[in-house]
Amino acid sequence: MALTGRTALIAALGSLPVGVLAPSWAGMLAVNAPLSLAILCDYALAAPVRTLQFTRSGDTSVRLGDAADVQLTVTNPSRRTLRAQLRDAWPPSSWLPGTEQTSSRHRLTVPAGERRRLTTSLRPTRRGDRHAERITVRSYGPLGLAARQGNHEVPWTVRVLPPFTSRKHLPSRLARLRELDGRTSVLTRGEGTEFDSLREYVPGDDTRSIDWRATARQTTVAVRTWRPERDRHILIVLDTGRTSAGRVGDVPRLDASMDAALLLTALASRAGDRVDLLAYDRRLRAQVQGRSARDVLPTVVDALAPLEPELVETDARGLAATALARAPRRSLIVLLTSLDEAPIEEGLLPVLPQLAQRHTVLVASVADPHIADMAAKRGAIEGVYEAAAATQTRVQRSRTAEQLHRHGVTVVDASPDTLAPALADAYLALKAAGRL
Amino acid sequence: MSRPATSATSTAASARRLWTRARGAALVLALVLIGGLVLATMRSSDSHGALDPRSADPNGSRAVAELLEARGVTITLVTTLDEATTAADSDATLLVTTPDLLTEPQQSALRRAVTGSVGRTVLVGAGHPSLSVLAPGVTSATSVPVENRAPSCDLAAATRAGSVDLGGERYRTAPGSTADSCYPADGLPSLVRLPGPDTTDTVLLGSPDILHNDRLDQQGNASLALQLLGSRPHLVWYLPSLTDASATADTPGDDTTGNFLALIPSGWLWGTLQLAIAALLAAIWRGRRLGPLVTERLPVALRASEATEGRARLYRKANARDRAASVLRTATRTRIAPLLGVPVQDAHSSERLLPALSARLPETTADPRNLLFGPAPADDAALIRLADQLDALEREVRTS
Repeated sequence: MALTGRTALIAALGSLPVGVLAPSWAGMLAVNAPLSLAILCDYALAAPVRTLQFTRSGDTSVRLGDAADVQLTVTNPSRRTLRAQLRDAWPPSSWLPGTEQTSSRHRLTVPAGERRRLTTSLRPTRRGDRHAERITVRSYGPLGLAARQGNHEVPWTVRVLPPFTSRKHLPSRLARLRELDGRTSVLTRGEGTEFDSLREYVPGDDTRSIDWRATARQTTVAVRTWRPERDRHILIVLDTGRTSAGRVGDVPRLDASMDAALLLTALASRAGDRVDLLAYDRRLRAQVQGRSARDVLPTVVDALAPLEPELVETDARGLAATALARAPRRSLIVLLTSLDEAPIEEGLLPVLPQLAQRHTVLVASVADPHIADMAAKRGAIEGVYEAAAATQTRVQRSRTAEQLHRHGVTVVDASPDTLAPALADAYLALKAAGRL
Repeated sequence: MSRPATSATSTAASARRLWTRARGAALVLALVLIGGLVLATMRSSDSHGALDPRSADPNGSRAVAELLEARGVTITLVTTLDEATTAADSDATLLVTTPDLLTEPQQSALRRAVTGSVGRTVLVGAGHPSLSVLAPGVTSATSVPVENRAPSCDLAAATRAGSVDLGGERYRTAPGSTADSCYPADGLPSLVRLPGPDTTDTVLLGSPDILHNDRLDQQGNASLALQLLGSRPHLVWYLPSLTDASATADTPGDDTTGNFLALIPSGWLWGTLQLAIAALLAAIWRGRRLGPLVTERLPVALRASEATEGRARLYRKANARDRAASVLRTATRTRIAPLLGVPVQDAHSSERLLPALSARLPETTADPRNLLFGPAPADDAALIRLADQLDALEREVRTS
């Protein structure tokens, strides 16, 4: 049962005849009894809510920052026309702040036995799964004095995917990758390279790459070209522990790490390498394993979408054990974590030799530009103390990076917007050097 | 066509579920109602409260009332002031059980009615709120526990009764008055008889215990009670009640409010009442929400730089100038060492760094030794200056 503003207005107007014509209990009764009767009739004549039928259709996934349309079909099986206000409720982060009222509410009229389709446009502001909450329908009577109200549960889920803003860097990195491929002979022979083809010597080629046996068979001097070995294995490990929850700018570190992981996945799968993914804090949060080059990127995007930072200390030993179990042959292990002193020294350093023994290890970390801003502060005493504290933090980070270097680990420490290209460049450099 | 079935998606509760949900509350409500009813039945014996001549409770006064009636005294029980003043005359005793319950206008009315016209007025347990009007000249002192006390006065009734259970309020009479002061506790009497005009008098009784059923048979309680209340052939037993109309009537200012409402035309009153109904309907209209609020588990929002900012505040709080200066100096040394061609591991030894620096900047204004390896700054201004000078030095090295 719900009333409308019209009811209150009629009751307020009723004070005129009561006050002027019949200031008595009889006057009150003469105004309010018909009003009550009208309300009851209106309530009785409103189309029933609990017999309505709903079906949903539309988008099931959307990239963060884009809009998703979810259709809702309302069928009115009763013999009365449905005049209703409908609220299609979703969690608050499904809409831009302030637009929830206009986006979630609909007015509709469904004649008896017919159906109508509504479109709810979502514009999620956070990554993850959005589950539809209940649908509330307020069905007004023909006089618009009273309404029936009821709820329906019509489940639907829209998965909000990471935005992958770093995909703009992909074309330039793919061009670099083609340079690395055997089509040019700038490459030197290395551990991770394989024989590609023979071609004619041109001045400037490395004389060490002349294939004398082939030259003897031909009239011209032949050189061997090499290309990076394909079908290497890359294991991306995301640390989802407490250090990944810290926000840089307005985005958690984890989201910047995801962006970098996506660019690396896209690049490596084009380069013919196999990419696996692992998200871990104290237990396995997500994994992607053994996917073909074509569908690895969508799978990774899907696996990353619902990940949230957990406020627990990462179990580095368990992480290393899980990574080793997932990488049976020589791999590039890309660990996306933070370079904070304590977690690295107490967690990662003791287990690093196990990993570095068989695999190439790359540690990527999100640096905070705010620390750099603080380190440059001068003028007031607060500013100088902030500069000192920020400098101290940077010294600790570089010391930690130094320690990792000593174990033969490649370290990438970059701000959120440059981390993804920096990680891609580090991968290309390793590939060019044949260290995969 | 029969009523269409409820849609599968509807969350409206079925009658069975409503019953399942509500039966617990209904059970509790039923238990409370039944319990209240049983208690009310059990406690509704013929008790009419304290000092009621009809009550057989330990605190009632049926015993003394029956003793008085056996001696030919007629008792009239009244609960309102009007009844009390009409029933009492010069041949009567007026017993006021709790004079403190009377409002001030009631007390004045009672005083006007009884002075000189009622044979004897007995005020039981009269305290500060009522003494000033009902017994002018008498003030109350701190009360004492009820105990067995001796009369110690010349009042005939008291000497005949001997020691009785009395206490409660104690009274202080004006010096030089002709009042009888009996049963003193720590020097102040708990029974005072004030003679009035003609043969009338007023008796102040500090505590009501001598009239209670359970104490009547002890000591001289019965004797004193019968003598005090039975001196006239008629007894008006006044139990002041809160429902007495005279308690609220005749108070100053009452006339104006009554007249104000009466002055408004009735049309306005009824119209306002109808508007109130409209307001109620509007409240119901606005109060009904279109579905409940949707909750969501939000992620934590903490800045990654919080630990560093906290450290800066700690430095500030502890005035850690030495620490801040050493950090800034170390950072500058580490940065300029590669520019001067000094290996990084030697950057913090003054013997290696300073010669290289003076070779690079022969005529610098600053004192590099003091700047890079000097003591901690003495005050905040010195620290700020140090930071600026370190920046200037680094710039000089870079541009030279």
